Amino acid sequence: MLKDITFGQYYDSKSVIHKLDPRVKIVLMILFIVFIFVSQNFFALIFSALSVFLVVLASKVPLKMYLKNMKAILPVLIFTAVINVFYGDGGKVLLSFWIIEINTQGIYKAVFMALRILLLIFISSALTYTTTPNDLTDAIESLLSPLRFVGLKSAVHTLAMMMTIALRFIPTLIEEAEKIMNAQKARGADLESGGLVDRVKALIPILIPLLISSVRRAYELAEAMECRCYNGGEGKTRMKQMKMKITDFYLSSVAVLMCAVVIVLNILF
Amino acid sequence: MGILEVKNLTHTYGGSSPFINDAVSNVSFSVEQGEIIGIIGHTGSGKSTLVQHLNGLLKPTDGMVLFCDEDIWANPKDIRKIRSKVGLVFQYPEYQLFEETVFADISFGPKNMGLCGEELEKTVTEICELVGVKPEYYEKSPFDLSGGEKRRVAIAGVMAMKPQVIIFDEPTAGLDPKGREDVMKIIKDYRIATGATVIIISHSMEDMALLADKILVMNKGEIYKFGSVYDVFSDVEGLRNIGLNVPIVTKVFLQLKELGVDIKTEIFTVENAIDEFKKLKEGNKNA
Amino acid sequence: MDKIIEVKNVTYEYTEEETTHIAVKDLSLCIERGSFTVILGHNGSGKSTLAKLLNGLNKATFGDVFVDGINTKNEETEIEVKRKVGMVFQNPDNQLVASIVEEDVAFGPENLGLAPREIRVRVDEALKAVGMYEFKDSTPHRLSGGQKQRVAIAGIIAMEPECLVLDEPTAMLDPKGRAEIINTLLKLNREKGITVVLITHYMEEAEKADRVIVMNNGSIIDDGTPSEIFKNVEKLKTVGLDVPQTTELLYELSKNGFSVNTNKISVEDTALEIKRALEEF
Repeated sequence: MLKDITFGQYYDSKSVIHKLDPRVKIVLMILFIVFIFVSQNFFALIFSALSVFLVVLASKVPLKMYLKNMKAILPVLIFTAVINVFYGDGGKVLLSFWIIEINTQGIYKAVFMALRILLLIFISSALTYTTTPNDLTDAIESLLSPLRFVGLKSAVHTLAMMMTIALRFIPTLIEEAEKIMNAQKARGADLESGGLVDRVKALIPILIPLLISSVRRAYELAEAMECRCYNGGEGKTRMKQMKMKITDFYLSSVAVLMCAVVIVLNILF
Repeated sequence: MGILEVKNLTHTYGGSSPFINDAVSNVSFSVEQGEIIGIIGHTGSGKSTLVQHLNGLLKPTDGMVLFCDEDIWANPKDIRKIRSKVGLVFQYPEYQLFEETVFADISFGPKNMGLCGEELEKTVTEICELVGVKPEYYEKSPFDLSGGEKRRVAIAGVMAMKPQVIIFDEPTAGLDPKGREDVMKIIKDYRIATGATVIIISHSMEDMALLADKILVMNKGEIYKFGSVYDVFSDVEGLRNIGLNVPIVTKVFLQLKELGVDIKTEIFTVENAIDEFKKLKEGNKNA
Repeated sequence: MDKIIEVKNVTYEYTEEETTHIAVKDLSLCIERGSFTVILGHNGSGKSTLAKLLNGLNKATFGDVFVDGINTKNEETEIEVKRKVGMVFQNPDNQLVASIVEEDVAFGPENLGLAPREIRVRVDEALKAVGMYEFKDSTPHRLSGGQKQRVAIAGIIAMEPECLVLDEPTAMLDPKGRAEIINTLLKLNREKGITVVLITHYMEEAEKADRVIVMNNGSIIDDGTPSEIFKNVEKLKTVGLDVPQTTELLYELSKNGFSVNTNKISVEDTALEIKRALEEF
């Protein structure tokens, strides 16, 4: 149920990937996403897949954890694949019915798209599993810091603070939602049967208490933050300074090299 | 045959869940009609998991729960019916309030059972009288009440289903002394009015000694002991070994014994203690 | 007497649905540096409002509050006051900002703009002081209530406050968690000399305090050492407070013609007192 959601959960296995500068990790992830998308043929895509797989292995996070994230996105994956099956033009016709035609090109496209999405999930999971939410927000804040030259400094800080708090409270709110759900079920609430309208209606006894408690939490958190001398990030320092290390350079160069290989494979085949 | 019977109940949670698990393994016990059962044990000893099986919120991984000799999971589609017969009041129940008025919120449970119209109104009014929710509160928003009042309304919301067995998970947590006293009174009043069986999870050994007929001691997901207040609290060493305590009064008597006073130590309430000291005084006078 | 906090004739009013309520009424109070004070009172007695007045989270409607000589109404020194008087609340979940224990503890010092190396030292020290150092890389939602609350305390300690004000920090915890918190507070008070103001309705937590203040209806109705306060069981009961079972036992004994003092709280003292009374026959 709700407890199975693992998104945004840090998995501490102290691997090489964990120790990378989070800023480098974000940039590399974007690079990976780009070369997953520019992979135009199977050779390039398979090479991308191998590279992603290498990252997954190096992260020392059990494969099971990655597959769990995949489970959530499975319907989207199947949907895209099915849509693509019907959009093949060319290749050997395998099946044809009325205006619908399934051909090898379509199958090829479907597998290709599915693989792409899969790789995207794997690479983004690799980032969230190996980087603490706080590191992640710090990195985003740092990467966005050039925006201060156009007068958006406090906006960047506010965004980072919002993300930190959201990530901190996601597990708390999930747990709370589950508790409220059980409490209403104990009062005979029926959450499982009925049509769509009934089911949406049945959510009211859960959503209202959840909303009210979130407001209360927000208010209390604001007071607690005030007590800890928070004043909107003015003059704030950081305990953990992000520093690029030599491994960051090595691994970045490897990634750039991989990117080059993808481009070469694209041109060659 | 008790009203509620648990047979070889085992519950394990999915392995990789990031939340704190408290599993239960091979638990069996039986509760008689009208008894007050106290459940004690550490946080994480499986108490909460156990009670969520009694009204079918959780399904046993293994074993079964019988209500009036019938397996509550015999027909999974009927599981909702059992929840009105075995009521469960969660910890901090005031966080489940959601309706616009106090009266509507208390009506939620009985409405889900299919009550409506006059019958519904009668049932809710009865419960309000029993727990002391005054008519001038009926149309108030539950969110405008004080902490103690919210708790009272939330408890009434479960009692309004008129369950034959009612379970409370730490009903007095977070309340001040007056609030604690009020909640205990509501529980006693409900039992007197309906003859219901009451099961209370509590960390207060003093409350348990005052209230319970029998005590179920949980440790690491198993039953450490299930017996009378006397049986459970006489086993001072055993309780200490699993990190639990005896009532403070009992501790005083144990300490007195250690100081060389010739006194029995199976005293669990202040009332008993006073009687014991009076006896001692009489004895001394006669000697 | 070296005063860390001075409350002078403070009244606090708030308006709700157009009616004005008085939460604290013409109250004066001094907290001595290095002391351990417990404030007792039932819900709605004004004790939480008073707590928030002590670090300027609430501003007095009339009268003034001084922290180390600084008026809490002074806007320029607001941060300074909050650093000197740290505050811990009831619900540990709603005080933790970050998803990693040590990063949460660093939040306060980071806001103070300290150097990274200095923050590191303070965070480690604070976590050690509350006995949570081994959990520094853990995430708060995997901790027990008592552990979370200790992290919250560490987050305040890391700002090196003079005084720690805690508003019912044990209300949501189990007996084990409560004991953890009280022991942590005693240790911080005795070893680090931090002034502690603990607000609670659990009487037994007042046992080891230097001073106990009882509040009712926004005023102080009693102020003294624990044994002075617990002597008067009747008075405590009339303001909706409960006495520990030990005190209750002695009180009942005295009502039944035993000559015992009711001002004992610990099991050991109670047993000794009863033994003494028994020997008198």
